[in-house]
Order: sequence, then C-alpha cells, then structure tokens
Amino acid sequence: MPETDLEVAERAPGAGGSSPALRIEDLSVSYATIRGRVRALDHVSLAIPRGQVLGLVGESGSGKSTVVLALLGLLDEAAEVTATALEFEGHDLLGDPVTPRGRRIGTVFQDPSSILNPALPVGLQVAEPLLVHRRMGRAEAFERAKELLAQMGIPRPGAVMRAYPHQLSGGMKQRALIAQALATEPDLLLLDEPTTALDVTVEAQILDLLDGLRAERGLTMLLVSHNLGIVDRICDRVCVLYAGRTLESGPTSALLQAPRHPYTRGLLGALPRPDRLEAAPLVPIPGNLPDLTNPDPGCNFRPRCPFAEQGCAEPQFLSEILPGHWVRCHRVGIVETLPWPLPEPVARAGGGTPERHRERLVEAAEMQRAFRSGGTFARLLGTESVTRAVDGVSLAIGRGESVGLVGESGCGKSTLGRLLLRLLPAESGSLRFAGEAVPEHPAAEFRRRAQIVFQNPDTALNPRQTVAAILSRPLHRFALAEGPEVVREVERLLDLVRLPHAFRSRYPHQLSGGEKQRVGIARALATRPDFVIADEAVSALDVSVQAAVLNLLADLRARLGVAYLFISHDIGVIAHIAERVVVMYRGRLMEEGRTAQVLHPPYHPYTEALLSAVPVVGARERSASRIRLAGDASSAVSAAGCPFAARCPRRIGPLCDTVPPPWQVAAEGHRIACHIPLPTLAAMPPALGG
Amino acid sequence: MSGAALGQWRGSRALRIGGCVVAAIIALAVISPWFAPYSAVAFDVRLRFAPPSAAHFFGTDEFGRDVFSRVLVGARYSLAMGFGAMAISVIAGVPLGLLAAFHRGFAEAAIMRAVDLLISLPPILLGLLILAVTPPNLWKTIVAVGIVYIPILTRLTRSVALGLLEEDFVQAARARGEGAVSILAREILPNAWPPIIVESGLRVTFAILLGSSLSFLGLGPQPPSSEWGLMIAESRQFIDRAPWMGLAPGLSLCALLIAVNLFGEGLRERLDPRLSGRGRA
Repeated sequence: MPETDLEVAERAPGAGGSSPALRIEDLSVSYATIRGRVRALDHVSLAIPRGQVLGLVGESGSGKSTVVLALLGLLDEAAEVTATALEFEGHDLLGDPVTPRGRRIGTVFQDPSSILNPALPVGLQVAEPLLVHRRMGRAEAFERAKELLAQMGIPRPGAVMRAYPHQLSGGMKQRALIAQALATEPDLLLLDEPTTALDVTVEAQILDLLDGLRAERGLTMLLVSHNLGIVDRICDRVCVLYAGRTLESGPTSALLQAPRHPYTRGLLGALPRPDRLEAAPLVPIPGNLPDLTNPDPGCNFRPRCPFAEQGCAEPQFLSEILPGHWVRCHRVGIVETLPWPLPEPVARAGGGTPERHRERLVEAAEMQRAFRSGGTFARLLGTESVTRAVDGVSLAIGRGESVGLVGESGCGKSTLGRLLLRLLPAESGSLRFAGEAVPEHPAAEFRRRAQIVFQNPDTALNPRQTVAAILSRPLHRFALAEGPEVVREVERLLDLVRLPHAFRSRYPHQLSGGEKQRVGIARALATRPDFVIADEAVSALDVSVQAAVLNLLADLRARLGVAYLFISHDIGVIAHIAERVVVMYRGRLMEEGRTAQVLHPPYHPYTEALLSAVPVVGARERSASRIRLAGDASSAVSAAGCPFAARCPRRIGPLCDTVPPPWQVAAEGHRIACHIPLPTLAAMPPALGG
Repeated sequence: MSGAALGQWRGSRALRIGGCVVAAIIALAVISPWFAPYSAVAFDVRLRFAPPSAAHFFGTDEFGRDVFSRVLVGARYSLAMGFGAMAISVIAGVPLGLLAAFHRGFAEAAIMRAVDLLISLPPILLGLLILAVTPPNLWKTIVAVGIVYIPILTRLTRSVALGLLEEDFVQAARARGEGAVSILAREILPNAWPPIIVESGLRVTFAILLGSSLSFLGLGPQPPSSEWGLMIAESRQFIDRAPWMGLAPGLSLCALLIAVNLFGEGLRERLDPRLSGRGRA
C-alpha cells in the first residue's frame, strides 16, 4: 500500500477531536493457507471516541469478525497481524492483548448457545470474571452477578443463577452473556453479531438493552453486524468493510440515507424492506467476493460494480467528501449521480389470473401435530411433556399464488410446511391437493407436484453427488426424461436458475452459498411441480445474494405459475415475495390476509409487535411508538384461551386466557384471531411508521 | 475415488509409511511360496535349534525347519484373518446398521439388542464359544473373528446414518418419495463410508491379534501350519533353548500391527473431517 493511504489514515475516521477510546490504524491480517496467502484485512483504520458506538458492517468474508479477534489477540497462530497502531485508551493491544481482555474490554459473541459452558450453572459463569479478574470472594461475586442479571432485565435472577444454559431461552442466554461481559465494568464492549441468532422480538429487547447501557454507562461499543437495520438503530458511526478493506465510513444517518460508495448503495438496494412494498424490485449485486489470496491492487469491488471503468484498476484511497464521511472511490462525485442499473423487470402477478378466480391448489384443514419429549418411562409416569407444534391449522393456497408464513422460531411454521408435504405424519386433519385428498403415504404424482427448497444450502445437497447427478435424479425418478434428453433437461434447469452449464460436473463444495441455493431450487423445479415450499430459503444468504435469489423465485413463479409457501422469520422478505401473509404463533394462526392488509392496521397485536420489532433502515424515529414483547415464544404456557395472551401488550382481561379468540373478518380475505374489536385494532398506530 | 482425493493421498506421513509397510508385507506374503529360501514344513533333523545365521536368518525350530520361511508363509494367515474377518464384519454389520437406522421401531430394537448381547461377551470368549464345538481351521477362525466385530460396525453405521438421515438432502429425497433402498444407497452410504472405512482399518489390528490369540489357544489353523500365534504357542517349551522361535513370529506380528495401525490412523486423518479441517476445495 502506498504512503498516501497512511497519511489519510492519520486523520481518518473518528473525527471526534479528543483522543479516541479505541484506535486502529492500518490493521492488516493475513493467513497462510494451502491456496496461498489470504489477506483477510488490508490496512483497515478506524477509531471510536469514548462513549460512542461504531457499527462495522459487511457481508460474510468481509473480515469484520477478524477485526474483533485481532483486538482480543485471539487470532489463529498462523495469522500475521501488522498495524501502525492498535490502541485502547493508550494501551497497545498488538503487544499485549491479554491484560485488558475480559477486564476493560468485554466481548459478546454471536451464538449464545455455543458460548456458555453447558456443564456449569449460569450464575457461576457470570460471576467468573469477578472471581478471576477482580479476585472477589465467592459470596460477593455471586451477589454482584445477581445484580447484573437483574439489570439486564432478567426476571427471576436468583433462579437463573442456578439454572444451566439448556434451561434458558436464547434471549436469556444472550442477556447472561452481556451481564458476564459487563461484570468487570469494562470501558469497551465488542459485540460480534450479538442478535443474529435471536428472533426479532428478542433482538429488539437486546437492542433496547444495549441502547440503555450506552446512555447510562457511557460505554464505548464496537458493533459488528451484517444487518444494516440494527446498525442504524444504535450506532453513531458506520464503517463498511468489503473483502478486507474499508470502502466507506461516516455518520450513520448520512451514510445510510445517502450512501456514496457503489457497494453501500448496492447493499441498501438489495435489502428487502417491509416498509417499501410497492418499491422497485430488489437490486442484487452481481458476482461474488473477490479472491482474497490475490487482492486487486485497484478497487476490489470493481468486478461487481456497475460503474467500473479503466481508472478503477488504479489503487483507490479513502477521501473525505464531507466532514467525517470517507469514501474509497475515485469516481464518487460522478457515480452518485448515476442511476443504479435495474435488473430485467420481474412480473409480479401470479400468471395474470385474478385472485378470486383462482382454483384452490392446497387445502389443509385442522392440521394437528404434537411432539412428545421424555421416553417410555415419562409416559408411564405421566411426566412426559407435549409440545403442540401445529394446533388445528387450516390453510388454503391457490394455484400460482405465493403465500408467506411468518412467525418466531419454534412457532411451528417449519412443522406445518412438512405436514403440508406429508413429510411428517399429521395426527389429525385433512389435506387436499388439486381437489383430491392426499393420503398419509402419498402417491408419486403428489411427490412430483409438491416440492421443497431448504434453508441451509450447505446441508441441502448431497456432498458426494455432482450437480448433474443431483438434478437428474428427480428426472429418472419420475421418468420425465431419458437418455440424451436428461442432459438437455439438466441444462434447461441450470438456465432456469441462471447457472452456467459447466456447473454440471461440480460438487457442492465447489459452489458458493448462493450457487448452492440455486441448485437446490433447480432440483425442486426439476419435477415441474405446481407447489414449492421455500423453508427459510434465503435466510442463510448474504443480502446481495439473497436479493438475486428472491428475484429468481419471483421470476420463476411468473414464468412457470408455481405456487409458493414461503416460510420465513424475516417479515421484510415475506413482504417482498408474498401476495398473502399468514402469521403463526405457538402452533396456531393469528392472522391471515393480503400482504398490504397484514402490514397495516387493523392487525393482530402479535403482528404489530413483530412489525415493530423489525429493525428498518432509516426509521429511527419509530422508537417512540415501539411495542416490546417481554420474554419469548417459549416463555409462557398458554391455557385454554389465546396462545399469545401471556405476552400480549394489549391483553384485555381474563377473557383472553380462557376463551379461544374468534376469527374476525376485517376485509375480504383478511381475518384476525383476537378478542379485541376490529375498530380498536384499526385505530392502532402503524408499526412501520408513516 | 476422485482425482482430488488421490492428489491428497500423499498428505499424511502415517498413511504413507503404514501403507508402504502393509503393502510390503502383503507382497511378501503373496510371493512367499516361491520366494522363501526353504520349505516351511520340511524337517531337517541335523539342524534342530540352529541359532540365527546367514543361512537361516531367524534360526531353526525343534524339527530343523527354517523359522524365516515359516514366518514369511505364516504372514498369509495373519493377513487373511485380519482383512478377511473385517470384510465379514463390514458385509454383515453395515447393512444391519443401515436397517436399524432407517426402520426405527421393531427392526431397530431387535438388531440393537442382539448387538448389545454380542458386545457384552468378551471377544476371546465369544471366539471360543463359536470355535469350541467343531474342529478348528483357518476359515472358522476368520468367521469367528468376523462375527466378534459385527456389533461395532453395526453401531457405528447406525449412528452415522442416524445423523445423515436428518440432513436436508435426505428430506429432499423423501420429498421425491424415494424408497428405503434408494435413500440408503444413494444418499446415506456414500456419505457414511469414510468413518466406516476408518473404523474397520483400525479394527484390522484387533482382528489379527484376536485371530492369533485364538490360534495360540489351539483354535486356529492346526500344525504343521505356520500361523504366528500357533508358532508362538509351540515355541513356549523351548523358550530357554531357542528364544528366536517365539521372537521371530512375535516381532513380525508386532511390526504388522504397528503398520496396520499407522495405516488406519493415517486413513482417519485423511478422511475424518473433524481432524482434517473442513472445506478444502
């Protein structure tokens, strides 16, 4: 890297004036691998003034977690770390990362279930930093840990202290981890995707907690996230990382309202947003991350940038275009005036058939399925616990229709999907497909016509089969093609999901996540189905790739007339792809209606809470009217009444606990299961703002 | 095996060394009838208990037979017992394990309880039970040792298959309405074989040892055969006069076991994703 970049870095971000709490200058990290040296970070500089929150955003592979690990000195031994400065309050973290770690720097990692030791009680783990670093006595440390848990909003902290991790919900575990990180009263909190493993309603609680901590304790925080909505919610400044380099950094609102770098613009354009229904289709960023073993000396976003030209091959520098707003693009002034090229238009309608004339394709009535835990002994002793995953759900899906099924984890949405495909036997209820009853062991024709796309592209494909083998199996199975036709049909499928024919001979591990997901979609489409269940089909993908897959699914529906059931926890994705939305809570449907109806009042109080918990970019002012749910979907056992009653912020009285809520019809095709009268529901403020 | 896998074949030193030694022993055993300097069974009364020399590398025994030639020929028995027995356990144990994983319920209960019963008996006792009733010979020993190791393969296969049956690509196969045979053959087995191969590679050692122990007890090949366990048994009474008689087959057995173990260990490093680190393209 030339010296000019160093000079820029001298004055680079931070911009607060006084000496920052955390200062990173020219941090580079590289690893030796079999394929050569991987440059994970390339001269990254950032600074956080005391009491501020910096958001570090980027897609997977951008190097954002590497920054956190470098600060903690926890990188692999094979990693080569260089920096001109890696300072925390004047302490050199490059030379000695151990002293402040856990004392003055607290860390919260992504997945609370794998961070807590399953064999130790939670209280001991929260008190441990006090015992180790503060050399406190056991009684005193436990007392303090209990206080901390209470401050984190944990209801019965005494009981939680004695509990083991598996007895707590994800949100509780994350609170305990934050309490643990804060136990030694650190000055800096590193948060690595702290809410990614949690449900939106729980995520909102954790974000509120972090926001409060910053206000009360003046904590300095570094928040690493791929979610721009979260960053917008609690960060003062944002730094956008791409393939190890900072591409843009600046004040949060300025950067997210008016992104200057083409990559940042691309990220925002690719984001499905529940508050912009009628907006243009999502704009995917073409291509994949560049090869980190051979970093581009010029702009590393160049191969994916729609505005790239010859000058982009020159090294690019961060330049300050506005006070405190830095962009690494030499064409920034010109590029920001150019419109982003739109993808080829996608037909949104379901094959042009008006909704009400649509024939019903899937009709499920009173589907029921419970899971039992405990063994034969528990059953004999009557201590077996029964979870009603799907509790009397009726659902109809028309030909060519796309229906979204939304709910928190554990609400039974995936179970319902498997019941509809007869992959799990239902305990009761009936299923009809194209007018005919589907038996428990369906005939081949049903199997051909109803298919599924899975969430995790890594486990959805058999690692020992080539793409051609994966795609041709359904063809043989249903005798859809023979001999040379098979090859042609496989090529047609690859064309359909826009993958090159050469991918035929590849194995899954040779494909990226987005490519694997396309193969998974092609496999589902190989049987020429009429109905496809997409179970969280895009939630494991990065935003830029997710947009491309969503557009592909929408396009395929328009061209092939396939009906979708789109299962997701992400209401933004659902709002984008679905014509009709079904909201599920603890095995029962709460609301059902056209997308626009469900996203605006009147809606079910649960829908309201879900919508209001979604972190939406550029909606900071929403916080005043925010609805917060206590606990999570597993926290309260429901009685005979409404399953949501225990958490409902608008519960009207004992009626909710005892009487099952009636279906109220708000408009044609829009029904809500709630005791609250419709006019009251209609008068609720819009959760998405404006 | 694909080209990429062959390219990495050189990866582990244990695999290389173990593989070479095992291959050398197999080669020697195969050509031993033509290669051995003397006959393995011919007596020479003038040369009883001759110590190791240039003419007789490992000396001679109480009938004047050349111990080196006997050890070379005897290697075939040990190899046959080790690999033959493992082949029997794999052929019987893997399908049982797959069946138990796929058909939860009665079939699983029946198979797994039978396996528990077999596993609860000490291997040598089980071998004795199987062999004691009829006159022993090499093939019976192989079958007996094979049966002893069926439970281990069945349990391993079942647990691997149970994990794989939860994977989404198996759900996809179910969503196509694929039958049990197709799911097991196309989706499960190709993904289950690496741990099975590794386990059986390591178990070959135990099989050789158990086979030798059984023939030491007289329940294997009969004299004048030169099976190593039998040779060690026969040498016991001459241990003060001619220690080489027991040492030569004993050390050979040792070398073979170490080589096979190295080879199995190398296979494990090569095939076990937990040890090799994932995602090497």
